[in-house]
Amino acid sequence: MSQQDSSEHRAMLSNSVTDFARGADVARVRKLRETKTECDRAVWRQMAELGWLGVLVPEQYGGMGMQLGDMAIVAQGLARALVPEPLTATSVLAARVLTASDNNSLKTKLLEGLVSSDILPATAWQEQAGTLDVTKITTQATPFEGGFRISGAKRFVIGATHADGYIVSANSPAGLQLLWVPRDAAGAAMTFDALADGRQSGTLTLSEVTVAKENVIHSGAAAAESLARAIDHAAAIASAELCGIMSRSLEMTLDYMKTRVQFGKPIGSFQVLQHRTVDLYIQQELSTAVLADCLGVLDEEPDAKTRSAAASRVKARCTDAALLITRQAIQLHGAIGFTEDCDVGLYVKRAMTLAAWLGNGTAHRRRYARTEIIEGATA
Amino acid sequence: MSTLGAVSAAKTDWNAMDDDAFRMDLRAYFEKEFPDHLRFLPRRLRWAESVDWWKKLSKKGWLAPNWPVEHGGMGLTPAKLIIYWEESERAGLGRMPDQGLTMVGPMLIRFGNDAQRANYLPKILAGDIVWCQGYSEPNAGSDLASLRTEAVLDGDEYVINGSKIWTSMAHDATNIYVLVRTDKNVKQQRGISFLLVDMKTPGITLRTIRNIAGHEEFCQVFFDNVRTHKDNLVGKLNEGWTIAKGLLTFERLSIGSPRRPLQAFEQLDALARAQHLFDDPGFVDRYTQLKMDLNDLSSLYGRFVEKVRQGIPLGPDISMLKIFATDTYQKLSELLLEAGDEYGAFADEITLGGDQIDLMSPFYISRPGTIYGGSNEIQRNILSKYVLQLPS
Repeated sequence: MSQQDSSEHRAMLSNSVTDFARGADVARVRKLRETKTECDRAVWRQMAELGWLGVLVPEQYGGMGMQLGDMAIVAQGLARALVPEPLTATSVLAARVLTASDNNSLKTKLLEGLVSSDILPATAWQEQAGTLDVTKITTQATPFEGGFRISGAKRFVIGATHADGYIVSANSPAGLQLLWVPRDAAGAAMTFDALADGRQSGTLTLSEVTVAKENVIHSGAAAAESLARAIDHAAAIASAELCGIMSRSLEMTLDYMKTRVQFGKPIGSFQVLQHRTVDLYIQQELSTAVLADCLGVLDEEPDAKTRSAAASRVKARCTDAALLITRQAIQLHGAIGFTEDCDVGLYVKRAMTLAAWLGNGTAHRRRYARTEIIEGATA
Repeated sequence: MSTLGAVSAAKTDWNAMDDDAFRMDLRAYFEKEFPDHLRFLPRRLRWAESVDWWKKLSKKGWLAPNWPVEHGGMGLTPAKLIIYWEESERAGLGRMPDQGLTMVGPMLIRFGNDAQRANYLPKILAGDIVWCQGYSEPNAGSDLASLRTEAVLDGDEYVINGSKIWTSMAHDATNIYVLVRTDKNVKQQRGISFLLVDMKTPGITLRTIRNIAGHEEFCQVFFDNVRTHKDNLVGKLNEGWTIAKGLLTFERLSIGSPRRPLQAFEQLDALARAQHLFDDPGFVDRYTQLKMDLNDLSSLYGRFVEKVRQGIPLGPDISMLKIFATDTYQKLSELLLEAGDEYGAFADEITLGGDQIDLMSPFYISRPGTIYGGSNEIQRNILSKYVLQLPS
């Protein structure tokens, strides 16, 4: 795609997201929070019809075959409207893993299903808190003639309340396996913990679950690499969501500061508040500058070290900025900001949920330090 | 700066050159010809140190990359100009007393008259005159528009009384451009004019001021019935404020460059290696945060540079770059001293593991950045008013 085509395409994408977000209803978001699900299948289908589920999926599977820079536009716009459906977990994390698969018939079925919204896959890779290392798992895949039997427990599975099946990672004598486990597989059980924003974090228990050969997505070092890449890309798009959260949050705060009157003047006229808000604005602008740079790096498909450094840079900056901006939004709104009825709280909670997912600021600085600083210093 | 976009027929059309070829030409020349002992200095160059390089560049036609060709500049497009800056930074070219090139020249080209241009521009290029900037006063710092140095017309001459302060390199300058009050009965900003004055004029005296690092970098300049011909008024009477404001944007882009903090970061690296600080998780945490801040500063700087490259005028949002760059630089200089432990109080360079490390200079150099060019608090006022549009 030429540069001009690409920028025209991005403008169109941006318009369609803005239209959708304008019609998006915070009341719906609030209602979903009261339930055990974060996904309205009707809305999910609508998102599929707009093509958003398949932004990153190659055209031969019904997707748009576009770049992370395009995906970020969708994610950022929907996050501004607090849309809770699991776009990044599904259309980045799962889609990237599936696209790298060498099992063509399974890949075709799952990707086409993902794009059309008929199949919602969730990725169950993590077991420990505080690490993004895809090899730090104990789930075992024991081979037998027809495939594998897997046992173990997966934590922090996002986008799983409506999932039709899970992409599960497990160790086998032949290295890491990525396996497709349908929701109703015998021996698979999912339980949920509520997250701050009303979404759900899944725990998948697997006891002697049989996975047929046909359901092996990917194996060995290439599987581990594709999973690590998918996680970095998802962290970057989660950062785009954080940018959406912070921009809407800052807008609401600025609007409030211009209208709320105390001591006979709008509170936005007080210098101490002006300077604090300017500092929030600087963090927002830094985040968007870093997001654009890092997405550019990731879209060039660099080596794994460069890729992880870029993902860590953007996730660390956007996480810290979004937490700062949303928390200061409470302070600048005063007592009203601390109420359930005020939307400020919804943004605070979404920021916390996105911050904790796929590595928070500290986790990413540590990872960056390990690969970019410590290893370099001791080499 | 209006001259940035100007391109005209040139002897050598630099703009027609391939970017990489242009870059390589500059690089080779800067590497070969600039005096090595003046590269990457922790201070500005004095005129005596600069004059040879100034004349050499002038002769080659490379002294004024931002001026239009018809005035003796290179007439570079924004994209080429950025390459020129990048290569100057890369080669560690010291900052000369360059007010004539960066401020006076562009100002005269845009706001001056033909006689002023014909008189001053060739002398600036030849290195015959050196300019300093008379803006701040003892009672007009952040509140620059309240300045009180006044000029009264007497026959064909303005008579100037008052004083200017924090005038960088005034002791090297032959000429000064000053903001003066020419009308006390209107809103402050509307009664200010721009005058050019020869430093040898009777009535001008100088007091050099040592900065906190002990360097004589700036002066106070006193005007006692100093007379300058009315032809030295730049632009229209009482329109000096607009001229001065227009010149500040590019200064903020230049202050926002990650170059100087990156140089200080190299000192921190050297210290960390020599003292095995990478084994200390507490240090690594702070070091990593700053390294990532610096990378992010480069991203932000790159966004503004890209605007210049595309010929988009810079707006008041450039202030955010100045704030983040200078704050980050200070944090870095502070970590450098803290990580130096006992050495963190040493006044001069130290030698550790065969490396010469300068812990103290970055501290001093980074301090005024949050004050000059409009303090960071003033920058926040600007952002609040013009970008966030908060009420006053």
